[in-house]
Parts: sequence; structure tokens; C-alpha cells
Amino acid sequence: MGEAIQIDHGQHHRMLVRQLSSEITPRRPLLPVSVRLALWAGLDAVLVAWVMSHTTNDFKAKLIQPPYLVEVVFFMIASLISAALALRSAIPGRAVSAAEAVMATALVITGTVVVIFGEPMDTSTRLREFAGIGLICSRETVIIGALPWVGLWWLAKRGASMNGWLSGLLVGDGALLFSFAVMRIACPIDEPLHVLTWHLLPVLIVIVLSTVVGSFSLRFRPRPRQIAG
Amino acid sequence: VYIEIRQTRPIVLGFEPRYQKLLSLAAIACVGEEINRRSRRATSAEAALTRFSRALNVTSSRRQRIKELQDSERLERGRVRVKLIQRWQQGDPNACQELLDDIGPSLTRFLRRRVADPRELEDVYQEVFMAIFEARHTYQPGRPFEPWLFAIARNIAVDYSRRRWARSHWEELVAEPPERPADVSNAAAPELGEVLAGLPPDQRDAFSMLKLDGLSVEKAAARAGVSVGALRVRAHRAYKSLKRLIGE
Repeated sequence: MGEAIQIDHGQHHRMLVRQLSSEITPRRPLLPVSVRLALWAGLDAVLVAWVMSHTTNDFKAKLIQPPYLVEVVFFMIASLISAALALRSAIPGRAVSAAEAVMATALVITGTVVVIFGEPMDTSTRLREFAGIGLICSRETVIIGALPWVGLWWLAKRGASMNGWLSGLLVGDGALLFSFAVMRIACPIDEPLHVLTWHLLPVLIVIVLSTVVGSFSLRFRPRPRQIAG
Repeated sequence: VYIEIRQTRPIVLGFEPRYQKLLSLAAIACVGEEINRRSRRATSAEAALTRFSRALNVTSSRRQRIKELQDSERLERGRVRVKLIQRWQQGDPNACQELLDDIGPSLTRFLRRRVADPRELEDVYQEVFMAIFEARHTYQPGRPFEPWLFAIARNIAVDYSRRRWARSHWEELVAEPPERPADVSNAAAPELGEVLAGLPPDQRDAFSMLKLDGLSVEKAAARAGVSVGALRVRAHRAYKSLKRLIGE
């Protein structure tokens, strides 16, 4: 049976240093946050271009209307801010800026208010029709958000997040707010009840899921390793 | 004397509040002594005050110089550490060694404030070193080194506190340790040492670390150099073997 050998702090330190020095290999530092954000935004741009070329929605005509423009632009900006914060949260010692977080939240709230009051609410649609069309939109919202989510998750995972749930939340925010903005371009229905129920609600659900998964999957933990005495 | 005390105020005000009163008293004493010595001549008192203020100015500038030196030393140390971690990222073992030796004392001080038990301090210290090693690629060149280092150390210390808190919830405090084991029904059972000797070494070590040394699964896995899952498997096999050897 292994007996515990008492060693002092100095000896322990020397053992650790010796072991770690012997295991060393070159490791390229992470690219700066701005570069990684630009890569992710590039992926988003490709996705937006693809959606624009395939949608039947006349979004170009709608973009002249200020409320519609505000919705799309505000959610896009909020998505980019969240993505930047997600990448930053995965670097030890880089605090998530409260001002930026507040700004992203304010943009989302303003965008949501514009969604609610931008168009008159129509409650006359039959439930079957409402749900039938809505479920397709929900599915598309999640599908469009999946690729940016995976991309951002991978970029965050390459770092070392000290706060898993926060990183998960921000990754979810970044990807799904982008998805919401893209769906405003893709979907021809602007009716507030439809947008809130079938676009925004799935976004919120996926963000919550991303937060939960992030809390145990994104948090940095060093691999266990034995120190040779 | 009143006039002289008033004259000392601008000098004294330059110091921290806790020193101000002390310096005022010193000034009064100094001036008073000078006045006594020079037959209460106001001119002498003024001269004494001038000398005193000069002395204070010298002290003040010396303090400022020491502070500047400390600041520049800290900056220089930061610059050296940044260079060392950059070399470490490129795979230089000497840089790794130098950097870890350099940060060791400050890291120990940092952890001592958070971890009371010296044995556990060593475990946390080791975990922090492992974490720094694993996360070295996340240090971004051009940024200060210390916030990065202490964010990792704080994270490990918080993890430790959480584990300790969770453990304290199922540990029961008793006024006195029991005089004999709670279960004495199996008095004829073989000695634990003998039974453990019959186990394969990896299972025996897993059992000892978890049940005799009281380590967490993560720490035991780290000590054995295997994954947490592998250690659980070893421990599970050890329990099964022990049950069989002891005869339930």
C-alpha cells in the first residue's frame, strides 16, 4: 500500500517545475479576439448571403421602413457584441465588459419592443395555421443558428473559460440573436405574435440550453496528470 | 508656537492622514525644543521650522523615489514575465522553469489567503501549475501577465472551495471520536491490510486513495495519472474484489 511521503513546499515546487519543463512542447497562442470575431462574422456573412439569395421575402423593400431596419440591425449588432464577449470570456483575466453587456441587452430589448409595436397584432389566425407555419419558422431559426453556434462554441472552447455558464450564455446569445436577425430577413411574416412565439421563443430556449451545456462543458479544467517524485 | 504650527500644515498635508497628526506633533516638539534651546527667539524657531520642513521634504521625496523604484521594478518584472511566457509558448523549457520559479512565491502567498490547510494548499498549488501549463496558449502577447495568471489561480481556488463546501455537507462532526468501529458484528473478518494485499496494485492504490486517504476522485485520478473514468473503474473493481475476499 502506498505510504504518504512528506515533502516540503520547496521540494514539491521543484518536482512540479521539473516535470512540466520536461513535458513542454511549442504551443501557438490564440489569435486575437478581433481576428477570431472577424472569422466568425465572415461565416455569418456567407450565411446571410445564402439566405438573401434563397428567400421569397421582399426584404429590400422592407428595409426602407425604420422599424424593420432597426430590428434587423439591432439584433445583428447585439449578436456581434455577444460573440465578442463570448470569445473574450474564454481568455483568463479578460473580464466581460459590463458596458458592452448592457449595450447588447439594451439593443435586444429595443429590438423586441419594436417587434411588438412595429406592426399591429393579429389574433384572428386559426391556431392550427398559426402553429403549422410557426413550427417551420422555429425549426429554421434553430437550423440557421446551429452553424454560428457550433463555430462560436469551437472558438470559445479553444480558450480557457473560467466561467462556463457565462461563456455558454454568450455563445448562445451570439449565435441565436444572429439567427433571429436572419430570420427577419428570411421570413415574410412580420406579425408580432408570430415573431415573438416562433422566432424569439426558440431563440430564448436555445440560449438557456447553451447556458446549461456551457456550465459543465465550456469551463476550463486542467487534465489530471501524475507528478513523478 | 501657534504660528510655526500653522506653517507646518502645508508640509504635513502632503502625507497620508494617519501620519499627519504624528508629523504635526513632531513639528511642535522640534520647534518647541529649538525655541527652548535658543531662548525663545522667534527667528531661531523659524530656522528650526525651515530645517524641519527640509527634512520632511527629503523624506517625502525619498518615499516618492522608493515608490517609483517599486513601480519600475514591478513593471520590469512584468516585462520579464511576458518575455518568459512567450518563450515558453515557443517551447523553451528554460523559460518555463524560470517563469514558474519566479511566480511560485507570489502564487503561494495568493493561495495561502484562500486555502488554510497546508496539505490542501500543496494540492491546489499543483493544480494551478497544471492549469497554467494547459492554458499557456491563451495568454495573448502584449497583454499584462499577472491578470491572466491570477484569474487561473482564483478559478482553481474557487473550485477547491466549492469541493470543500460540498464535502463539509456530508461529513458529520462529532464531539469525540468513536472508541471502536461502528460495526463490530464481523469481528472475525480478516485484517484490511491482508485483504488489500490480495488486490492488483492499480485497484489497491485506487481504493487506498479514495477510502483511506480520503482524496476526491479527481485528485486521486491526477495522482494516479489516469482519467477520472478510469479511476472509477479501478475503484469499482476493487470494491467487487474486496466484497468477494471478505465474503460480503
